[in-house]
Amino acid sequence: MNTIEETIEIAVPVRTAYDQWTQFKSFPRFMTVVKRVEQVKPNVTAWVIGVGPVCREFEAEIVEQEPDSHVAWRSLERRPSHRGQVSFRPTAQGSGTSLGVRLELRRHGLAGALTGVPGLTRRVVRAELRHFKEYIEGLGEAGGAWRGTIRNGHVRPTEPEPPRSRVPCWPVG
Amino acid sequence: MNKPGEEPTDRLDQPNDHLAVTPPKKWAAGVPAVVHALEYSLQQTSPLRTGVDLLTMNQVDGIDCPGCAWADPSPGHRHRNEYCENGAKHINDEATTRRVTADFFRTHSVSELSRQSDMWLNHQGRLTEPMVKRPESDHYEPISWSDAFGLLAAELNSLDSPDQAVFYTSGRASNEAAFVLQLFARAFGTNNLPDCSNMCHESSGFALHETLGTGKGTVSLHDLHHADLIFLVGQNPGTNHPRQLSALEQAKLNGARIIAVNTLPEAGLLRFKNPQKARGVIGRGVRIADRFLHIRAGGDLALFQALNLLLLQAEDARPGQVLDHDFIRTHTSGFEEFAAHARGLSWDDVLAATGLTRARIEQVRDDVLRSERVVVCWAMGVTQHKHGVATIREIVNFLMLRGNLGRAGTGACPVRGHSNVQGDRTMGIWEQMPDSFLDALQREFGFDPPRAHGLDSVNSIKAMREGRVAFFLALAGNFVRAAPDSAVTEAALRTCRLTAHISTKLNRSHTVCGRTALILPTLGRTEQDVQAGGEQFVTVENSMSEVHTSRGRLKPASPLLLSEVAILCRLARRTLDGKAGIPWERFEADYGTIRDRISRIVPGLHDFNRRVARPGGIQLPNPVNEGVFPTAVGKALFTRNTWQPPHLPDGHLLLQTLRSHDQWNTVPYTPNDRYRGIHGSRRVVLVNPDDLKELGLTGGQHVDLVGVWSDAAERRADDFEVVPYPTSRGCAAAYYPETQVLVPLDSVADISNQPTSKGVVVRLEPTGASPS
Repeated sequence: MNTIEETIEIAVPVRTAYDQWTQFKSFPRFMTVVKRVEQVKPNVTAWVIGVGPVCREFEAEIVEQEPDSHVAWRSLERRPSHRGQVSFRPTAQGSGTSLGVRLELRRHGLAGALTGVPGLTRRVVRAELRHFKEYIEGLGEAGGAWRGTIRNGHVRPTEPEPPRSRVPCWPVG
Repeated sequence: MNKPGEEPTDRLDQPNDHLAVTPPKKWAAGVPAVVHALEYSLQQTSPLRTGVDLLTMNQVDGIDCPGCAWADPSPGHRHRNEYCENGAKHINDEATTRRVTADFFRTHSVSELSRQSDMWLNHQGRLTEPMVKRPESDHYEPISWSDAFGLLAAELNSLDSPDQAVFYTSGRASNEAAFVLQLFARAFGTNNLPDCSNMCHESSGFALHETLGTGKGTVSLHDLHHADLIFLVGQNPGTNHPRQLSALEQAKLNGARIIAVNTLPEAGLLRFKNPQKARGVIGRGVRIADRFLHIRAGGDLALFQALNLLLLQAEDARPGQVLDHDFIRTHTSGFEEFAAHARGLSWDDVLAATGLTRARIEQVRDDVLRSERVVVCWAMGVTQHKHGVATIREIVNFLMLRGNLGRAGTGACPVRGHSNVQGDRTMGIWEQMPDSFLDALQREFGFDPPRAHGLDSVNSIKAMREGRVAFFLALAGNFVRAAPDSAVTEAALRTCRLTAHISTKLNRSHTVCGRTALILPTLGRTEQDVQAGGEQFVTVENSMSEVHTSRGRLKPASPLLLSEVAILCRLARRTLDGKAGIPWERFEADYGTIRDRISRIVPGLHDFNRRVARPGGIQLPNPVNEGVFPTAVGKALFTRNTWQPPHLPDGHLLLQTLRSHDQWNTVPYTPNDRYRGIHGSRRVVLVNPDDLKELGLTGGQHVDLVGVWSDAAERRADDFEVVPYPTSRGCAAAYYPETQVLVPLDSVADISNQPTSKGVVVRLEPTGASPS
């Protein structure tokens, strides 16, 4: 297993950085290797990543999520090829965000292919964090937010009846 | 001489009573599926029409296959050939070049047609112009559309009460047609809106709504692909939802285990040869079920209760390691009462009800304990029992114990049959719609919808029998064959003053007439739908709550055909004559105006027109996956369920009705059932060889199936050939709809009122032995 840890300081408040991070579908706007993200459910995302014509697809399950604190995920495979966590903490000065990423990569599947090149994944992660920093600092405010909590893969909504839950609820034969 | 199953085309038009039996298949699909699909398609229509249909089927911006409600893969992940053998047959059965014209009805009286088989009627081809059977006539004769609507409107307006009318919907109807029908019925003044759901998954809807607060399944294809363990309970994907096999194949390749629970070892439960993959064409395909539980009919409730008890005991042995306490505490209610009830289970009862051994059930428990993500799929083998609702509630208990709801790769998956059966209900086709929906209708259209609950399918038949219903209109379907107790249902229909069917093809329901009967021929899913506002598309919702478009490409079978929406809008205009101020004309001209109204009435379909136009359409969220359980207490409910095994006197069997592989709903395409090795006849009863020995019967013998019920009526299906078959002990199986005559109208599932077509007590009498 290969573990990568990277931290970056971002000059926006924790809430802004966190809220933007929950907008996974926007990642292709500023990340180079992320080509497309589909939010299947609040706790499932489908990703297409790659460089040039070489693309790989995977799905990820968010197993833990706490607003303004952290998001932890794992790839949805029989033997997860990677797990990760991103955490958000106020900087020492208090006005910015210290964003930390920890990735655990297994030597098979998607991550196996990536880790075949020494140092490549770490360089990619570092660059993409820099892209995120430039994006959110440039905008100054998040383009959306999802403020729910996820515990052990189960979603806990922030309100009793969040908008997306307002669907036909009568019996369907 | 032709081999079994290879009858020439001219013999397809008549049932062939020469039965040939071959060993049941041990795998489904493969190259034979492609060959059979193309063979049947080309018998029905031209290579060009076949090609247009098949290549646009289930594609973005193409035709939604009317064959089943299974979900399509995401856009970009669909095969060029995204259909199955049965879907291909079904769509080209509709696209047939055969036509039923006025000459046909001049030649064939209604009495004569009523003696023809379902298969023969279907093979006559597409209906082409409106027809009427007048009270004293035994023939249908042409009628203009205008006169037909005049006749219908006059009859409706002459009723003593709007509740004397019943409006039935089949799951083929689009969202737009279903919405217009329920709107018309309610503006007219009744909630009598039975549908085919009443007979297939009503038990699922009631059980899920009560326990989870939503009547729909919680899984997507993604969940199936990523599950560790999948249960297939009382369903036969190889025949009834073949595209599910692709999802199961993907799950298996991702490492899932599958447990099939069935009374019959169906081919599609055993192995799948995907005809689009080399391993399915030249290889051995993929094994589907890792474990096959050969359960007795109706034993599923006992099985899941036993599993739940075993999980509770496993938790006792390893506290904190088996159950998902956090989920149970946060999201559920009633756990303690459920657990106390579960601990009182009698193993003797479980083993008697299931026919399984305790060791076998403990093996399943071990599978569950090894699995982090579990999905349970089920179909009519579960819902069509007296305790169908209770069984599904117990499945929900099972899922909740280990938090297998709302997480990735987990959930409840009722597998629905008809392509828009779920959408029709979303559109308000239900006799008990909640006030929230009726209030929204009132706000939008300014009339006061009736609030009293209306009639479902079973209660509609009873009401007809008692003279409380005089008018019956069916939007698609074959009501008299889909409904139980065929003789009772037919007698009930015949008491109506007027029966009318909006149909694409001839079926038995057209031959069971009220005093006046109308055939209102309509466009099929495959056909272009051009209205005053231009070319239209319709929308449908699949089993996984994806709402998307369907757009036909073929030229209509006749220039006189009207779309379902057009027929209903014109009927509404003529009947209501400006009352309620609903713009029926605009609705007919531009279906987008219907969707605009739907978007303001049905929660979750806001901005309907814009969102449904996107590739893949709209994914209606499921509250359960959002962590919301909109039950009365705001949490998912554990329930305590009991069952009473059906009383099976000595010498009797529990019969289940089922479809053959060459059949779509009530319509057999040929008299063959390739996977089960039955060729040339549908009047067969499948019985376990040991039961045959005990009953003193032998394979090949002809018997009458005699239903046993609490009333004095004799229900007899005569002259069935006995076929020794590996059904569960004590259980028999025979084809639907031929055996619907044996399902008593009063034999229904508790709570859902769904006919119990999988639990009919019968005895087998050698044909000719009865004095009657």
